[in-house]
Amino acid sequence: MKLFEYQAKEVFAGAGIPVPKSVLITKADETAVAVSAVGLPCVMKCQVLSGGRGKAGLVKLAHTQAEAEALAEEYFTEVPSLHAVLVEEAVAIERELYLALTMDAPSGRAMLMGCVEGGVEIEHVAAHTPEKIVREYIDLDRGLQPFQINDFAFRLGLKDNALKQVGKICGALYKAFRSMDAELIEINPLFLTKDGSVVAGDGKLSIDDNSMFRHAAYEKGRPYYASDMEYEAAKEGIPYIEFDGDISLMCAGAGLANTVYDLVNYEGGTIANYLEFGGPNYMKAGTAMRLCLANHPKVILIVTFGTIARADVMAEGITKAVQELKPDCPIVACLRGTGEERVDEIFAPIGLKRLSDTEEAVRKAVAIASGRERA
Amino acid sequence: MSILIDQNTRVLVQGITGKEGSFWTQHMVDMGTNVVAGVTPGKEGQLCCGAPVYHSVRNAVKEHRADAAMVFVPPKFVMDAVMESLDSGIRLIVTLADGIPLHEQAKIRSAALANSTVVIGGNTSGLIAPGKAMMGSIPYWIERVYKPGRIGIMTRSGSLTNEVTAMVVAAGFGVSTLIGVGGDPVPGARFAEFLPAFEADRETDAVVIIGELGGTMEEEVAEAIASGRFTKPLVSFLSGRTAPPGTRMGHAGAIITGGKGSVEDKTKLLESVGARVARRPREVGTLLIEALGERK
Repeated sequence: MKLFEYQAKEVFAGAGIPVPKSVLITKADETAVAVSAVGLPCVMKCQVLSGGRGKAGLVKLAHTQAEAEALAEEYFTEVPSLHAVLVEEAVAIERELYLALTMDAPSGRAMLMGCVEGGVEIEHVAAHTPEKIVREYIDLDRGLQPFQINDFAFRLGLKDNALKQVGKICGALYKAFRSMDAELIEINPLFLTKDGSVVAGDGKLSIDDNSMFRHAAYEKGRPYYASDMEYEAAKEGIPYIEFDGDISLMCAGAGLANTVYDLVNYEGGTIANYLEFGGPNYMKAGTAMRLCLANHPKVILIVTFGTIARADVMAEGITKAVQELKPDCPIVACLRGTGEERVDEIFAPIGLKRLSDTEEAVRKAVAIASGRERA
Repeated sequence: MSILIDQNTRVLVQGITGKEGSFWTQHMVDMGTNVVAGVTPGKEGQLCCGAPVYHSVRNAVKEHRADAAMVFVPPKFVMDAVMESLDSGIRLIVTLADGIPLHEQAKIRSAALANSTVVIGGNTSGLIAPGKAMMGSIPYWIERVYKPGRIGIMTRSGSLTNEVTAMVVAAGFGVSTLIGVGGDPVPGARFAEFLPAFEADRETDAVVIIGELGGTMEEEVAEAIASGRFTKPLVSFLSGRTAPPGTRMGHAGAIITGGKGSVEDKTKLLESVGARVARRPREVGTLLIEALGERK
């Protein structure tokens, strides 16, 4: 679960990492009070989960209260489903650093990363001069040791007060990483200010989905999703991604769903949505089909090759869903695996023919979507 | 021969009396797997699927030498179960559960490395040497997928394994050993670590890797080939070639982040060291024939 910046900063503050003064507003008319609390100039920051907020114009400096109010008005009216804006004091910056912790899969250790060229260009640095990013690997049982912090800060080229301050932040960030079950925790930029202190300018924190049972205080409501349907699907525990093409995918298993996604693209088709109803969801064909139909696809493409996720059980679910939902678009179904020999008989009442070859099914769906073939 | 397991491997099952545990243990036994004992705290003295049940791995190992542990416990308890088998000296552990907390995945991986132990999973259907033994929830009875033969298979995905392996069998081949390393971001064991065993196995002619976007496991395979640690033909199918960057495609580990982990980059690297990369599942069969010649 990706947290919003303001939530990441709450965690930072709790861990002892300095953050700028800020007030969170959920309506434009709260701006004046917020500005008087944080002072001018201030930064108006839309709380959205997508990256590149600065480049998208979703983070702007306001020099006067009128400017701040105008920005708040603009953001709340124009940014789709925006739920909050963080009004934050503008910090006098000398340098910007990058600090982050994530998990290193090959070693099974945490990986602390830092770069003295922080800010918006960190991805450019990572792609073109990766040697500028300093790394330190941390055994989770032993924890981050002082000698590691020292060595890391020296390798970053820090000196004097900055070395000491950044070292402290590393320790605090690691503690937050562990206690939050984070998959990623990032301060970018970490400001070194003109008066010699350090402040977290922006924050990212993503909690591992498998660990959410230990972080029940965070409820993943509608603002965390790109669309209403993605939110609906998530409540059902069904992986679902919305696109704007023609073909709704209803596949069992992530690997197979990704393969069908690729094959549709190879054949020149477009995807309306990615939906995966394998594993624990294989009995939810009705919900899956309802989610697909909400995108008004030209065709629904069902591909499965399941074992525990039995083909006959899924066929029964699909038959029932078709009878109840009466979809106005054709369905192409390629079901294999346990119980596949019973599928034709189960499909008979709805007149659906089972295909058994993935590529044939994909070509048929693409042909129907493009109008070359009738269902 | 197969790698890792065969009919002589002495398998201990943790969580044997659970619903999933007893269901799949029975299938393992039916297929010929040598299940010597089971563990469920509180149920010592019972029999399950013909195997005696013990309170702890320690007790089970004292009575029955075990070479391998099969873990059927819910995700929250996997780390404890793995550590318990490690502690009793078991050096091959298979864990299926989907949903192991990330920091526990990392601790399992780190403990596996520190103890020179193979921990396969989580988020997998396990390990099978068709016709010999199985540890996991693999439908060995589907003949057009799990036919015994001379191709080693490693996979990150359950559903896609059936799709791709069916193509291997349709092309006239069969499977020596199939290892599901699983779809978690930090799996206990990684593709490249099994290549030396497949290289040494006289009954494996080639290896098929079923990978996907994200992570660096396919890159490590390319490195193993480049360094000469693996010299047999290798064919790979990778899903997520057209996936949009930054979007998590089903599996937690299936994501392109910071421009890294794309199927295109993985393909380039694998092909640069002489591995064959299929664009479609069906091509896996064609490429195997190209590498090994026609099978009658």
